[in-house]
Amino acid sequence: MLELKDLHVEVEGEGIEILKGVNLKVKKGEIHAIMGPNGSGKSTLSKVVAGHPEYEVTKGDILFEGESILELDPDERAHKGVFLAFQYPVEVPGVTNNTLLRESYNTIAASMGREELDPLEFEDYIKDKLDLVQMDPEFLNRSVNTGFSGGEKKRNEIFQMAVLQPKLSLLDETDSGLDIDALKIVSNGINQLHGEDDAVVLITHYQRLLNYITPDYVHVMMGGKIVKSGEKELALELEEKGYDWLEDLATVNGEAK
Amino acid sequence: MAHPTKVEPSFLHRLAKHSPESENWAGIREQSLKDLNTTNFPHRKIEEWRFTDLKPFTRTDFVPLSEADTLPATDIEQYYIPESDRSRLVFINGTFQEKYSSIGGLGKGVTFGNLSDFADHDAVEEYLNKLVNYEEDVFVPFNGLMFEDGAFIHLEKGANAEAPIQVLNLYTDSKQAYIATPRMLVVAEEESDVTIIEDHIGLSENTYMTVPVCEVKAKQKAHIHHVRIQRDSRSALHVSRPIAYVEKNAEYHSYTITLGAKLSRNEPRVVQEDEEVDFTLDGLVLIDGDQIADTHSVMDHRFSHANSHQLHKVVVNGKAHSIFNGKIFVRRDAQKIDSFQENRNLLLSEDGLVNTKPQLEIFADDVLCSHGATIGQLDPEEVFYLQSRGMTEEKAKEVLTYAFALETIENMKVESVHQLLIDEVYRYTKANSVAKVTA
Amino acid sequence: MSETKALESMIGEEYKYGFTTDVEYEDFPTGINEDVVRLISEKKNEPEWMTEFRLKAFRAWKEMEEPDWFNATYEKPKFDKLQYYSAPKNKPKLDSLDDVDPKIRETYEKLGIPLEEQKALAGVAVDAVFDSVSIFTTFKEKLAEAGVIFCSISEAIQNHPELVKKYMGSVVPARDNFYAALNSAVFSDGSFCYVPKDTICPMELSTYFRINNMNSGQFERTLIIAEENSHVSYLEGCTAPMYDEHQLHAAVVELVALENAEIKYSTIQNWYSGDEDGKGGIYNFVTKRGACRGDNSKISWTQLETGSAVTLKYPSVILQGDNSVGEFYSVAVTNNRQQADTGTKMIHLGKNTKSTIISKGISAGKSDNSYRGQVKFSKKADNARNYSQCDSMLIGQTCGAHTFPYIESANPTAKVEHEATTSRVGEDQIFYLQQRGLSEDDAISLIVNGFAKEVLKELPMEFAVEANKLLGIKLEGSVG
Repeated sequence: MLELKDLHVEVEGEGIEILKGVNLKVKKGEIHAIMGPNGSGKSTLSKVVAGHPEYEVTKGDILFEGESILELDPDERAHKGVFLAFQYPVEVPGVTNNTLLRESYNTIAASMGREELDPLEFEDYIKDKLDLVQMDPEFLNRSVNTGFSGGEKKRNEIFQMAVLQPKLSLLDETDSGLDIDALKIVSNGINQLHGEDDAVVLITHYQRLLNYITPDYVHVMMGGKIVKSGEKELALELEEKGYDWLEDLATVNGEAK
Repeated sequence: MAHPTKVEPSFLHRLAKHSPESENWAGIREQSLKDLNTTNFPHRKIEEWRFTDLKPFTRTDFVPLSEADTLPATDIEQYYIPESDRSRLVFINGTFQEKYSSIGGLGKGVTFGNLSDFADHDAVEEYLNKLVNYEEDVFVPFNGLMFEDGAFIHLEKGANAEAPIQVLNLYTDSKQAYIATPRMLVVAEEESDVTIIEDHIGLSENTYMTVPVCEVKAKQKAHIHHVRIQRDSRSALHVSRPIAYVEKNAEYHSYTITLGAKLSRNEPRVVQEDEEVDFTLDGLVLIDGDQIADTHSVMDHRFSHANSHQLHKVVVNGKAHSIFNGKIFVRRDAQKIDSFQENRNLLLSEDGLVNTKPQLEIFADDVLCSHGATIGQLDPEEVFYLQSRGMTEEKAKEVLTYAFALETIENMKVESVHQLLIDEVYRYTKANSVAKVTA
Repeated sequence: MSETKALESMIGEEYKYGFTTDVEYEDFPTGINEDVVRLISEKKNEPEWMTEFRLKAFRAWKEMEEPDWFNATYEKPKFDKLQYYSAPKNKPKLDSLDDVDPKIRETYEKLGIPLEEQKALAGVAVDAVFDSVSIFTTFKEKLAEAGVIFCSISEAIQNHPELVKKYMGSVVPARDNFYAALNSAVFSDGSFCYVPKDTICPMELSTYFRINNMNSGQFERTLIIAEENSHVSYLEGCTAPMYDEHQLHAAVVELVALENAEIKYSTIQNWYSGDEDGKGGIYNFVTKRGACRGDNSKISWTQLETGSAVTLKYPSVILQGDNSVGEFYSVAVTNNRQQADTGTKMIHLGKNTKSTIISKGISAGKSDNSYRGQVKFSKKADNARNYSQCDSMLIGQTCGAHTFPYIESANPTAKVEHEATTSRVGEDQIFYLQQRGLSEDDAISLIVNGFAKEVLKELPMEFAVEANKLLGIKLEGSVG
């Protein structure tokens, strides 16, 4: 579904390389976890896949369902089924959750050839999704993320994921800032939404989330590269040993390039 | 701005004819004369003066300071702050008093004394009268024509003033109404640090006018903490012009406490000269009787990355009248500005009046600017709460007024000044709690 | 930055109402003097007292100076070159719509205004003012049944002189300001509305103003009177053709609300705003003021200001009656070289009076957008309250947003709260919405709509759609 080929990325206009040759393959039905210390480039990776204008791909390619999406605007990538759950969901004062979701749902539906829903149909459709993340319907009438607590914002992201039914979900630090109950709700939601036809990439600093969501593969990012990949046991190893033991690996690989 | 073609001579123009000759300030005299003679005395038809009427003073028969029979100052030690026993500059009616001053020194690189003794100092030559910038103004040129002495404070690169410097301006009793023109120049070179306590005190209840002009330059990474206390005579007119220029990574924090004068017009300005600066322009005004206190401030953001704050608190009782016009400018190219202005007014009496105009002028899009202004009385809920805890209504209001005013002086770094201001606030709230308060 | 570019293209959408209508005009001298004022009055067959009213105003105007205290610079109108009266030639007394010049009817159709009654299912009564003259008022009979008088001010002067005499100039005196004085001398036409006691006006009332003639100024005059326990909602819309020359529009609107009465006045202003370089466009110098004369009365101004080269306008409320309420909701959008200096005055005289001000300014291009407001509590305004919120949004780095709130309180029991913020359309907001599938244009439109929402929701239902459409023209996208 998603393939990153030797991906090099700089901050637009600043010439500082953040991703230094990332290779990754994610297939339908898989869950991948990308872990790594702060500043390793893992959040950048998710934003680049979603098409954030701040970053410039200087080398390599991003393939989605076999086609390069490098030239596509963020909304065009969303239309294809790429979803990013933001680490820091943005506040949009005055625009209600309901308005945003209906707009989003219908534009994506239109471009995927699905049927658009009128306000009443949409209301029915959205109700079940609310239950999934245990959110009050009143919340639909609130402005997007405005005045939400950290936990509410994160739950809102998963709620949007549920509504939009993306093919590829990139979840950027979705677990941070959640208490244990919220973490359970959120992971439960992700588990329920995930199926054979979609893929999930979890980006996380801690192993904690992986107690609730079992990844098929775990990758460690350091210094802008994936320095080690393995199965779910790797996450436990990281929890135990931290990231230091991998540092040499990062330096060596970094210099080798 | 274009100068008016026709200038109506005012009492200031008249008095300026008595400008004392000065070898030190010949250039400034010349410039000031030119400026004064092309500028009209302000009146209420000018937007900036629409709420403040200077007429009672234009009718006063002012005489030049040299012709006034001023009485000597006595008992002035009570105004000394203990922290500044080695760093005190005393001026009486604008004239430097060597015998009361203490210029024992504050360590290496810290110079301070009478301006006229430092006329040849590089910093004086470079900055005196060059920083001050008030458009269509008669008061700065008037000061420029009359002053001889003044406070000069200079910090060399990296110098750290060990103690606060007190600049004490005393105004003595006199049968004639006179005009004093205190002057001040502060230049803090790179990475220096200084705290200044500027105090204006009327020793009696006589009528006089004071026109202090203060220029401040904070160079890169310099820190200046500037406290200005105005305790002029209840019959006095106080028109002050303090302006500060702040360079890269420098900080300027100013706190103006307005307690005295019959009419005060305070126009503090801060000009950002480079990126990454931090400044404060706080004020506390406590007035009653027939006092008028007018603050017109400007925070001028000219470059990116500035943090600026202004908290201006006002308590009005009796027939007093407060005016506040706080301008925040964010010029084109001044991105990433975080500026916050808050003006809170407590109107305690039926006959008091509050005018406020917090003004934002923004020309850059990536900025976070906000202001808030309120005028009102004490929160009846809070009064009730304290009453339910056993206080009388009067006491409750006194306590709440005290707490309202106190917030602005929390940041005073100098302990004795902090205490002094607490006492002043206490005295004010105590004195005004007997005044009739409406429910 | 691509974000800015997208905004520019969106906001730079061309003016859709810029067509002109080829109509023959009556001859009328240019310039102004007492004879011209008399001639206007004569043309309109006015009674002597009205002619006197005009002449007095003219004499006052001659003594006044053109104001310059606002935050706008522009070439002053050449008062001696203006035509102060402009009427389409074929303007007999109209008995039915069929008598309206087909070309003018066509104009209103292009504007999408339901002049024909059968079309007006929305239940809106329309008075259409073409240049200086009221063309036709719809739904007259139905309104008359309810006792509501809705007609042109010229007709009111003829048919209801006692009402006009009593109220005209009582809220905005002829010598109130330079432009009000000029208007009082030369006003051509406008709308008049009288809602009798205990009456709820059965439908929305609306006036459409259209400036067509190139050299004419438009000086219309609106007077609305709501008697005790009555209620009326009124909307005005304004468009003009595109000319290279500036045209002057100096209207006066007076509202009077008596005890328990309520007037809701909404404006969608879309005069031609000039081109990118500031060539052409309307000078919109308008005096609008309402008086809450009776206890418990309420006046509410809502405005969506998108047009005009220069706008100077401060719809105000004088809160005389105890417990009376004043409201001001405004969205002002400026782009290119537009300059808007707009806001309100809330003058609290009565006890327990309340006012609310919500102002949203959006500036783009090289425009300047200023909020100027005054809130005043007089000594007797016990327990008066005001809440003001003035938010500005800047798009791009060549525009300016200004906030000038004047606040005055002489009463210790009164309470005012004023807040203002400045923000921008953030790149992170746009990316977030794009990630959710919205195009950049739609994302921006959604953000701006969200910003202005508190005000837009105050517009009458029938016009909400139109307002959104208009924001759409100015700011593309059509998300509601």
